[in-house]
Amino acid sequence: MVQTKRMLVLIICIVLLSMMSAGNASAKQILYNSTIEDGDGYQINNYVIDVTDVFVDAETAVFKVYEKDDLKHDKMIGDDKSFSFEIEGEDVEVTLVSVGGGILPRVTVTITISDDDIVHTKGVVDGGHDKASFSGTPILEITKTVSPQEIAVGETARVTVSVTNAGDDDATGVRFSDSIPARFVLQESFVSETGKMSLDIGDSRQIFIYELKATESGTFTLDPTTATFSNEAGGDFPQASSNSPTLTVEGDSLEEAMKEAELQFTISLEPTSVQRTGFIDVKVHIKNTGDAPAEGVSMDILIPDGLEFEEGDDEIEVVGNVPKLYLSSFGLQQEKEISYRVKANSEGTYTITTQYSYQYDNAVDEDLQEVSDELTTTSIQVVKGQYDSLLEQPIYVYAIPLVLIIAIGGWIFYRHRQYRF
Amino acid sequence: MLNILIIGNGQCGNRILDAVNKEAFGGKGKLAKFYSKQKYKSRVETIAINTAVNDLKELKYTKAKDRIHIPHLHGVGANRNVGKQVFAENHSHIMRQIEERGSFDVAFVITSASGGTGSSFTPPLIKEIKERHDFPVYAIVVLPFREEGSLYLQNTAFCLKDIRETGVDGIILADNQFLKQLGGDVESAYNSINDMIAKRILFLLDALDSEMMMVTDLGDFKTVMSGGAGIATIGFYQAEKDEPIRTTIQKSLSPAGLLFSTDVYEEASRSMIIIRGDKSYLSIDEISTEVEKLSASVGHVFKGIIVRKGERPQVLSVLTLESASELENLYAVAIDAINEEREKKARVLEDRNVDKVFSKIDGLEPQY
Repeated sequence: MVQTKRMLVLIICIVLLSMMSAGNASAKQILYNSTIEDGDGYQINNYVIDVTDVFVDAETAVFKVYEKDDLKHDKMIGDDKSFSFEIEGEDVEVTLVSVGGGILPRVTVTITISDDDIVHTKGVVDGGHDKASFSGTPILEITKTVSPQEIAVGETARVTVSVTNAGDDDATGVRFSDSIPARFVLQESFVSETGKMSLDIGDSRQIFIYELKATESGTFTLDPTTATFSNEAGGDFPQASSNSPTLTVEGDSLEEAMKEAELQFTISLEPTSVQRTGFIDVKVHIKNTGDAPAEGVSMDILIPDGLEFEEGDDEIEVVGNVPKLYLSSFGLQQEKEISYRVKANSEGTYTITTQYSYQYDNAVDEDLQEVSDELTTTSIQVVKGQYDSLLEQPIYVYAIPLVLIIAIGGWIFYRHRQYRF
Repeated sequence: MLNILIIGNGQCGNRILDAVNKEAFGGKGKLAKFYSKQKYKSRVETIAINTAVNDLKELKYTKAKDRIHIPHLHGVGANRNVGKQVFAENHSHIMRQIEERGSFDVAFVITSASGGTGSSFTPPLIKEIKERHDFPVYAIVVLPFREEGSLYLQNTAFCLKDIRETGVDGIILADNQFLKQLGGDVESAYNSINDMIAKRILFLLDALDSEMMMVTDLGDFKTVMSGGAGIATIGFYQAEKDEPIRTTIQKSLSPAGLLFSTDVYEEASRSMIIIRGDKSYLSIDEISTEVEKLSASVGHVFKGIIVRKGERPQVLSVLTLESASELENLYAVAIDAINEEREKKARVLEDRNVDKVFSKIDGLEPQY
């Protein structure tokens, strides 16, 4: 029993160790596992691991690690030996697998790194670090300005975003991000560089120029404009941000400043029930209850089949069988009554729809505001006319008397001619 | 069915003819001609002849084709000599118009004896018809008011004489002087006389072509008309409510029922009495009594009875006269009138007073 427990503990320990060793192994990523000739090097970003001396007989080799031209490490190791150093916080381990002779001595090495995400440049460099090419660091300085910095509600302020590459490398894949702040309306955009671009060293460029209209009073800090970018070698850099300018807006809110023309249309009918061939008088009463005058008031009176426009006020003009009314202006609190008359031609229930539209200046927006809607009358009942029953009679009811009348008339004419001397 | 021709000559003849045509519509009013039909039992052709177109235009119930205008100014001015001349110039046209209407069994020519066209056209017209055809022709002659003037009276005298000499089969007299008792204004009196004559003529025509209970026909009429002096008149009466047939017969023979003033029991030569009405009114005894009474004075009386359901009794009597004292009186007045006209004309020819007045300025010239 005791042996069984010991065996179980041992197995668990073995499993745990195996898992730990597997976890360490998976943390290292192999960058290179091959030969490097004497005098050559292996570049990782701005670091170069030079192989400076190979001692075949001693089965040793000398490795020198440079950051660009600066020597950082100088190691001589034998077979199956390693040394480590850090590049941008990541561990790099160089293991000498073997040394070999020939015209040029060479070493077989395995180079691993704890996280290869930082690696943008790697490979064997003939001639070592003297022959290596190193990438720089672009630095994007983003400036966001607003002018003027104090405006009234409804006024506009111009926002200008510019960028300068103050680094020592070109910036590639640059993408800017900017947002319109709340309580502002984008009035007009003049420049908007939203696609990917490149910025050479020292270059300056205007990225955004736009105007914002203030809709509410207050002091507002604009969000910074940000940019993501890479260097020439493709290395990504942290997001760059602009400053956050402040804009002060004074006065009433836009909603408070806004004016509106509000035309109220009411329709009355007299009578609402009529015999066929009778007439219905329609009166449309218009009143501007808003706080702005209206312009271009137009009405289209849609008379349904079965009714017919008979006559109306002089302002009403019939165009294409549609009675229309146009008033060029309609002042504050102005009232007007339009009258017209329709004739009932057919039995049925009808409504008359009036489509109207008008425009007004809301004192905020540059463009005139347009309002269009329609209103419909109550139902009009057209009932059978006094003599309609006569029309519903079969044709012979008319034809027979007509024939008789014609015959009698003809006979009277004939007799009259007989007796006229 | 008889074929009957009725000719109206001159204004008077035209108007009586128009009244006959109007009566034939049943007396239904002015519009009857537009919706009604003339109720002639026979085939009756009517012709109005006149030289005055305005007289023809006045006719209302005579068809235009039956109005024959003989153009001569606007009439012949009561001058029978002119009238005869105009007829002579147009007789072929007139006869053609008559003969185009076919053959006839009897003809009546209605005229005034006093006027111009009627009194002058009728004698030669009857003579022409009698020469060309063999059917009997009877003249219905209207005598004038005695006060209408000397020209009318002398025209009447000569017209009647001329008609008798044409070979006419009989003259039926209607006397305006006698009939003016109907009263009223001149126009209504004339119209009443015309209607009265028209009604009798229609009754007679109806009787000559009707089925009768007791028969009188055209032959009987001819016999009656051939009696006496060739002069006849007609009497008529329609019974009032519940009036017996005896009284009705008596009134048709009384002066009030006759067209010409005569005492039928004294002056009549032959007679025909036609009685029409519902059989309930027609008492044979009463009829026989009255007919016997008349025949006792006159000699022979033809009688005919026509039964018409629901009709009140009507009696028409045709009487030929042996003598006519009234006609003698008329001729006496007419002779006076002729003499007066002759003397007047002689005086004018002798004195020539007006010519003397004009002769006073012979040889003078107007001075200016």
